[in-house]
Amino acid sequence: MNHPMSSLDQPVSSERSNATPESRPFLTVEGAAKAFGGAQALSSVSLSLHPGEVHGLVGANGAGKSTLIRILAGLIQADRGTIRVDGSDVEIATPQQATDLGMSFIHQELAFVPGMTVLQNIMLGVPKTSRFGMIDWSAIAREVEPIARRVGISAPLSSNVKGLSTAENWLINICRALVRKARLIVMDEPTASLSAAEAEKLFLIVEDLARSGVAVLYVSHRLDEILRLCARVTVFRDGRSVADFDRADLNHGRLVEAIVGRTVERAAKLPTAGTRGDVVLKVRGLARLPKVKGVDFDLFRGEVLGIGGLVGAGRTELVRLIYGADALDTGTMQLDGVAYAPRRPADAVAAGFGLVPEERRADGLVLSKSVAFNLTLSDLSHIVRSPMLPLIDGRRRAAIADKLVRDLSIRTAGIDIPVGRLSGGNQQKVVIGRWLSREPKVLILDEPTRGVDIGARSEIHRLIRGLAARGVAVLVISSEPDEQPDLCDRVLVMVEGLIVKELAGKDLTRNAIVEASYAHPAGPEEIEP
Amino acid sequence: MTAAAHRRLSPNAKAALGIFARYATIVGLVGMIVAFSLLSPKAFPTVNNFTNVLNQASLAMIIAAGLTLAVIVGELDLSIGFAASLHGILVTGLIVSNGLPIPVAIIIVLAAGGLIGLVNGIIVTKAKVNSVIATLGVGTILTGLAFAYSAGVPIVSGVPEAFLQLSLGRWLFGIPNNILVMVIVVGGLWTLVERTSIGQEIQAVGGNPSAARLAGINTDRIKILGFVISGVCAALTGILLASRLGSGTASAADSYLLTAFAAVFLGSATLRDGEFHVLGTLIGALIIAFGFNGLNIFGAPTFSQYVLQGAILIVAVGLSSLGRSIAES
Repeated sequence: MNHPMSSLDQPVSSERSNATPESRPFLTVEGAAKAFGGAQALSSVSLSLHPGEVHGLVGANGAGKSTLIRILAGLIQADRGTIRVDGSDVEIATPQQATDLGMSFIHQELAFVPGMTVLQNIMLGVPKTSRFGMIDWSAIAREVEPIARRVGISAPLSSNVKGLSTAENWLINICRALVRKARLIVMDEPTASLSAAEAEKLFLIVEDLARSGVAVLYVSHRLDEILRLCARVTVFRDGRSVADFDRADLNHGRLVEAIVGRTVERAAKLPTAGTRGDVVLKVRGLARLPKVKGVDFDLFRGEVLGIGGLVGAGRTELVRLIYGADALDTGTMQLDGVAYAPRRPADAVAAGFGLVPEERRADGLVLSKSVAFNLTLSDLSHIVRSPMLPLIDGRRRAAIADKLVRDLSIRTAGIDIPVGRLSGGNQQKVVIGRWLSREPKVLILDEPTRGVDIGARSEIHRLIRGLAARGVAVLVISSEPDEQPDLCDRVLVMVEGLIVKELAGKDLTRNAIVEASYAHPAGPEEIEP
Repeated sequence: MTAAAHRRLSPNAKAALGIFARYATIVGLVGMIVAFSLLSPKAFPTVNNFTNVLNQASLAMIIAAGLTLAVIVGELDLSIGFAASLHGILVTGLIVSNGLPIPVAIIIVLAAGGLIGLVNGIIVTKAKVNSVIATLGVGTILTGLAFAYSAGVPIVSGVPEAFLQLSLGRWLFGIPNNILVMVIVVGGLWTLVERTSIGQEIQAVGGNPSAARLAGINTDRIKILGFVISGVCAALTGILLASRLGSGTASAADSYLLTAFAAVFLGSATLRDGEFHVLGTLIGALIIAFGFNGLNIFGAPTFSQYVLQGAILIVAVGLSSLGRSIAES
């Protein structure tokens, strides 16, 4: 019996492997195509990956990256095209077949069995050595140990996975892939939830994997990572592979150009000095322990106010209080000078608020319902025939939905298809679009461009600036350090439930936000009233 | 059946499975009617028998249509059968013992149905009690109230003819009143869910309660509305049943609970992928009605009716989740 545990340490070799780009590719994809309903997710993509190569895959949301990954993983089947592994045609009908072919997939949402140990999670679904019919965990541990150390897992194998960081979860997944003797590891947005230091560690491991002959398909929106790590980069656009670069021929600008197909212009930041309107929202002593510990600020008409800080600083919790999604412990608010105390989001919406939540699939959209349904959900009174007889006027609804789809350039096969079939960026535009026909006083956006490609990102930024120019007060939470200096007039930095710094004008820089985010909350700096 | 199992199927097979799940119930209904017609050409396929089946099924369709609203908003209402029994006793009691005019008695009982729904809804949304437990508890209390009100003795004598005519009478082209009431209720609820802004809110709450809430929908109010509609429909079925039986009897309508659930789940597997909807419930109730009618015509023993009812419920829920997992994969 060819036992997978028999030579676990085989790939553990720090010697530079003989693999060169000239060797035979491990994986070749040619002309793969896939349609969902009427929408052509992939028109024709081709890609080849050599052993020991870190290969970047970039493209806008909806360009077809995740569709290709799902085809390789055996989750869906391509309509056309060939896939070759080690030079012979293969068909990947199930995830098991993908594993058997030596491919391993690590996604943004990592799946673990809580309550089991690190080792048990690594060994999930892998045939295990047994002694007298009992699983011999100590023998397995001895074999897994070197691999775990090699990928940098510092937690003991016998510890519980619960409570481990996202970074450690990634390492466990990489370890699992190596135990399964993966020859290709596909990493989808690996650094999305990692700190800079954790990401740095991951890069070293990826480079080490490549040296030992493992191929890595590295999917990311973060181009600096792609430029740093990848020997080759394939660019997808609109379901086609449009460019294939060698590292030597590559720079940031060329990559962006290939992704967008045009040059990206930055949303022109409007001058703010002197144009500030009246106070729309006055927040005093807002608290809900343990996450929000007493927050004061004023929000002005026509400004884009950022709330910066680290993940877990209490930013999402703060806006949920303002939006009436959670109940206050203490504190007061005034909207246009009148006391405002929402008991539920419906009160906030009626008062003129709108929210674009962080988790758009879980909290933003009814995925099984149509684009039109989701676009008009917060503005139903505009599409009924009369307030007394609330029958939906289908024509008016279609007109509103069509206009929003056009205005926001939402890419969809139609307003009647389920919104769940749209790509992430387009789904995000639907959630934003919902509020536009209401002309909100205050629009709150929580991580508006997370997981969104640069093209859509700059469109969303332009949209936000446009709203502010029309007098809407906009509140933006973002964890991406570069986003707020580009987008916001003013940024309040939160640390552990308190605002510790206000930044505006020439003080509003990426570095200043990052620096303030790490400030000690015990001694908050003075905030201008 | 899990979503993972479908991934192994080719796209064509999956599409075929989806079509099967969507149309299986309708094909089953038509197949059953054809089979019974061939097997019993004299008794089954007659206008009389079909009218009769529809007339009998109307009460189940009304209570099931009401239940559909509760289920669309993501809750279960197990109190409806017990509630309908209580309402039957209440309406006959109000007419016979208290001497109230029939329309007044009916209005009071419908209001009581709405009130029970309101209580269910408040317990579920405000006290955050799981709806299965909440409505089972409320239903059990209602059974107790029914016994208390009737002192365990069915109200049989003195029921006026006019009240009996409510269910036994015919109107418009001689169509039985039950069928007319059912068409109005089902048509009204279909319009409410599919064509009004409240219906959009109902569907949004059912599809993703968190997103609906953050989109500015008062989800608690919508859920309570679902329970109230379910309660009023249960009251209507209780009234019509009492009229048909000519009496108010504790636990007379209890068995409507299972029938209604079977109809609702069969309906969710019909035409849509595991999504509850009023029209589907109507078709589900028809399948059950014709199934029982066939068993009766062929003189099947009583126990087989229970077996069939249980089997239908399981098959219905299975088809419903099959539809959902196909929609998600």
